[in-house]
Amino acid sequence: MILSLIKILIFPGFLFVFVLALAAEYADRKLYARMQTRIGPPWFQPFADFVKLLSKELIIPELADRTIFRILPLVACAAVAAAFLFIPVYNPESLFSFKGNIVAVIYILTIPTLTYFLAGWYSRSLYSLIGSMRVLTQMFSYEVPLLMAVLAPGILASSWTFSEVIAFYGSKGSLFCINVISFVVAVIAVQGKLEKVPFDIPEAETEIVAGTFTEYTGPLYAYFKLAMNIQTVSAAALLAAVFMPFGYNLGFILGIIIFLLKIFLIIVILAVVRTIFARIRMDQMVMFCWKYLTPLALLQILINIIIKAAAAQ
Amino acid sequence: MENNHPIVEKIRSAYPQVAESIKVQRENRIWMKIDYADFRKFLEFAASDLKTGIFCMLTGLDDKENFSFIYHMADLNGIMLNIETSVPKTNASIATVTDMFPAAELQERELTDLLGVAIEGLPEGQRYPLPDNWPDGEYPLRKDWDESRLEKNPLKEKAEDCNV
Amino acid sequence: MSKKLVIPIGPQHPALKEPASFDVTLQGEKVENILVKLGYNHRGIEKACESKPYLHDLYLIERVCGICSHSHATCFLQAVEEIAGLNIPMRAKYIRSLIGEMERIHSHLLWLGVAAHEIGFDTLLMYTWRDREIIMDLLALLTGNRVNYAVNVLGGVRKDISEEEKGQILKAMDVLEERTKYYAHVTTEEITIKKRLSKVGYLSPEDAVKMGAVGPTGRASKIKRDIRAEDKYAAYGEVDFKVVSDDNCDVYGRALVRVGELMEAYSIIRQLIKKLPDTPLKVPAPLKIPAGEAISRYEAPRGEDVHYVRANGTDKPERVKLRAPTLANVQAVSTMLKKGYLADVTIVIAAIDPCFSCTDRMIIAVDGKSEMTWKQLREHSINWYKKNRGVDFTKVKLGMKE
Repeated sequence: MILSLIKILIFPGFLFVFVLALAAEYADRKLYARMQTRIGPPWFQPFADFVKLLSKELIIPELADRTIFRILPLVACAAVAAAFLFIPVYNPESLFSFKGNIVAVIYILTIPTLTYFLAGWYSRSLYSLIGSMRVLTQMFSYEVPLLMAVLAPGILASSWTFSEVIAFYGSKGSLFCINVISFVVAVIAVQGKLEKVPFDIPEAETEIVAGTFTEYTGPLYAYFKLAMNIQTVSAAALLAAVFMPFGYNLGFILGIIIFLLKIFLIIVILAVVRTIFARIRMDQMVMFCWKYLTPLALLQILINIIIKAAAAQ
Repeated sequence: MENNHPIVEKIRSAYPQVAESIKVQRENRIWMKIDYADFRKFLEFAASDLKTGIFCMLTGLDDKENFSFIYHMADLNGIMLNIETSVPKTNASIATVTDMFPAAELQERELTDLLGVAIEGLPEGQRYPLPDNWPDGEYPLRKDWDESRLEKNPLKEKAEDCNV
Repeated sequence: MSKKLVIPIGPQHPALKEPASFDVTLQGEKVENILVKLGYNHRGIEKACESKPYLHDLYLIERVCGICSHSHATCFLQAVEEIAGLNIPMRAKYIRSLIGEMERIHSHLLWLGVAAHEIGFDTLLMYTWRDREIIMDLLALLTGNRVNYAVNVLGGVRKDISEEEKGQILKAMDVLEERTKYYAHVTTEEITIKKRLSKVGYLSPEDAVKMGAVGPTGRASKIKRDIRAEDKYAAYGEVDFKVVSDDNCDVYGRALVRVGELMEAYSIIRQLIKKLPDTPLKVPAPLKIPAGEAISRYEAPRGEDVHYVRANGTDKPERVKLRAPTLANVQAVSTMLKKGYLADVTIVIAAIDPCFSCTDRMIIAVDGKSEMTWKQLREHSINWYKKNRGVDFTKVKLGMKE
């Protein structure tokens, strides 16, 4: 009982996620800054920002629904942190393991996006309203390729459970490299999920101020920001577990190191993409997701089915 | 100056009454004055026959009894034709030229705001450039206007009074 | 969606660096109508000019705009000098052109960064603004100031360029040319930039003439007009340069024109430095300017700048009227945005390189009522917080003398 409480609250649970999320934000910001020839923040900056925001005055718009306005950031935080608990960290078993938990994680990771939409909707502000519309439109375009891409490796393993996928690829050497197409698709789609350039359309600063978060201030905004950071980590951990299913049986310390390296690699990729592209327009985003990403993800599924059929014969 | 002659000749032949006022200041700079009655027709003539069809600027001047207006027109080769015309202050009203040159809109609104000249035919729109709460009847570019007038006629304080 | 949304962009908005208001009526994400409201920066400069001597006006005019301060000052001086019949020495003309071109470089680099920021490409913003520092430092070296150079005086310029400074300018030009080639490469090759800029904010050549578009905005719509070539003011008659134009007629074309003009500016500066004649810097100018009138045109970085000056024989002008390039270009914005997307609004507005403080000018802060002293302002804020937030700030000590 106490052990599982420690696991949930401290490691690899909430405290670990919290620290990891702030570290991820720092890595992302520092890399982004260095690539733009800026110096970038010191290591404690994300934490300092968080504390500062917590101490700021909270302003709730007069027309907004006060209860929902307050609850939403916490829901977002809880959802992304809960998603992390289902993803394996240093051993193939995640904290809570059950059949088909890959699908569950993808669905839990959709909840924060819905809270962003609701947050914009209940803020009763023009910019938020447009932002929330964009959140939904964007979700409908990246969610399908993301789902297909993340589930594709599971087809070969005949399972959508983390431990079984990891066990399957672990015994097959470098077979996981076959999923490189869906890995690329998933990374791009995750960029859309995390609302970062080139898909930061829902919070495009120069168009709609801060999109859905325009009316959020102080502690509530801090929670939203934290939720986004944890979402980054959770999504990176998800990609790591599904597409890089190695290094999970090497014991605690080595396992953690490999896990952190994988997360770092994905954050580097996300930061590079953020650096070298401009923000695209909503219609271009929808077009891109349906015209390129979805067929690519389908192609991966097709490849995996053919290989599986060939192996069965 | 040599290269302006074709234009000056054209104006002289078409509008002999303004020949006196034509002044070629230097290369590419022609100044002239015309009665307001003939102005509109001349402007059309300048835009089509003289090819000075680019509207550059509209200057409003407070000339004691009159309001003068200089329409600075340019052509593609760098010639600038400055057409001056004036109306008496007692009847401070001119017709809009936005039907020919949409670019003139803001500058005509400026005349309304700063000199108090009525522009006939200018569609309703936002005032420019004075603030919405500027008092009525104060035209800062008139020569007899100075800041002290705002003490008697201060800026409006209620939003309902403002003419947006 | 049947209900129409009206999104206010401005007077204060992250995309606008200066106050102006654009009310965008939306149908879904598409722009249906746009209402432009200007005048927030009206400072009364034209009226103020009438009450000050020419000598003071020069410095006032320089403050019409922060970016093209040299443009306005030179344009105004050219008109006054024409009325006074002053013959400006060649060296002064060269130096005026030189500073003018450097100002163009710094303005265009600034624009490139701002435009990149509007489409969410912050990396390009950081790069261009870093390189802009080179030219800013150079301007500070030559004139003592990063903006508002005040290098002009009536009848010439106030500061010479030494041999050593010449070398520094040439060296900086080499660096900047290299960097600009890279930016030209980025803007023409990078796919998201192209996607965001092409076919956005289309302005047909006919509309460009009709709405009075000038400068890079007009030149990107096939209008090959450049006052430097038409009017050959200052030293532009003595250098070779080509008028950069483009037939894309969209924001992408405007970006290409500006990048092309950067390259031209480097070549112009090299020629000016090479040919810099050895004459005095200025001629003595009278305080009282004889009666007369003149109009002066100047190709500012943003487009054609026009100044009209009427003198009445005293030391103060009778009337000064100026038209900044933005005033001509801003009217074309609503034409450009027809059937565009909300996402394009800010980049289209930014593409004309708007400078609303140039545009608005006028009205000195005179009204006693709305102007608050520091003390009144503080009292007001203390009362406001007491009433609305229940916090008492009376005891807070200020770090300055009351």
